[in-house]
Amino acid sequence: MHELSMAQAIVDTVLDAAEKNNATEVVEVTIEVGMLTMLNPEQLKFLLDVIVEDTLLENAEIIIEDVSVEIKCHGCEFTGLANTDGSDHYLTIVLCPECGERNVEILTGKECNVKTIKIEKSDEDA
Amino acid sequence: MHKVAEVEVQHDIMVANRKLARKNQRILDKDRVFSVDVVGAIGSGKTSLIEAIIDAVDYKIGVIAGDVISKYDAGRFEKHDVPVVGLNTGKECHLDAHLVEHALHDMPLKDIDVLFIENVGNLICPVDFDLGSHMRMVVISVTEGDDTVEKHPLIFQDADLVVINKVDLAEAVGADDDKMVSDVNQLNPEVQVIKTSLKTGTGFEDVIGAINAFINDN
Repeated sequence: MHELSMAQAIVDTVLDAAEKNNATEVVEVTIEVGMLTMLNPEQLKFLLDVIVEDTLLENAEIIIEDVSVEIKCHGCEFTGLANTDGSDHYLTIVLCPECGERNVEILTGKECNVKTIKIEKSDEDA
Repeated sequence: MHKVAEVEVQHDIMVANRKLARKNQRILDKDRVFSVDVVGAIGSGKTSLIEAIIDAVDYKIGVIAGDVISKYDAGRFEKHDVPVVGLNTGKECHLDAHLVEHALHDMPLKDIDVLFIENVGNLICPVDFDLGSHMRMVVISVTEGDDTVEKHPLIFQDADLVVINKVDLAEAVGADDDKMVSDVNQLNPEVQVIKTSLKTGTGFEDVIGAINAFINDN
């Protein structure tokens, strides 16, 4: 269940950024989750909703954006979006769409990035 | 009056772990310790393989034994008279660089040459967590089914050495060990794949040889 530790790391990151910017409240958090991470976005969102209780982001809207898989093929030098069947977030097979080769370098799709936060701050700090 | 502001954070949790992993590698390099992250499913034979290596080689070994709960594996290694740090991950399904860093503080790094880090039995979650080891050995066995590689491809894409264990049981469990080798090769043409049986001794010397080759290249 590594969604819980990731959720905790996300909350810590958001709180750190919020405090550095003198936020009185966090109203929105946008997280990018790569399709190739072993993270289930629904579980992640559920756990975030649980552990934000009594923090600055208690009422924040959590937005999770999927990051598609981009590859560079070592067989034919194709660079771009990988073939993924799109049916399952746990999908892990990556094939070159040009030549079907599996020996590919993964360029994007493995991230869990706290992208932006929207915060409320008092006028004196704004 | 309050005002809403958008703040760019751009903090990748995965990158944060990778940074900690690089820190672990620097700690190990300082004391010239070569480290092997041993990943594999529950019951694939990770502990037995490390135990056999400890008994077979003449370099000094230390072990970080990751378990979800209990010190069972740590206790097995202690019987081989090597330094052992047991790590309980509690609710977590993998070791991460932060946990390993703590364990490194308790390991007598100056007194060892090679550190084995036995990960929690899992082929899924450890994919996301680099520990800072110099090589990753993935151990699977025929008893888990000969579709194991196809079902968990990412762990094999990043592997430096793959061991397919318990091949003496392949016929009994109806598994095609050649298919498992071929599946790994398709995903990772560079990686060495060794079929082993600790019961018959098949392939064991090749595993030692492969690890030695990595140590010498490092």
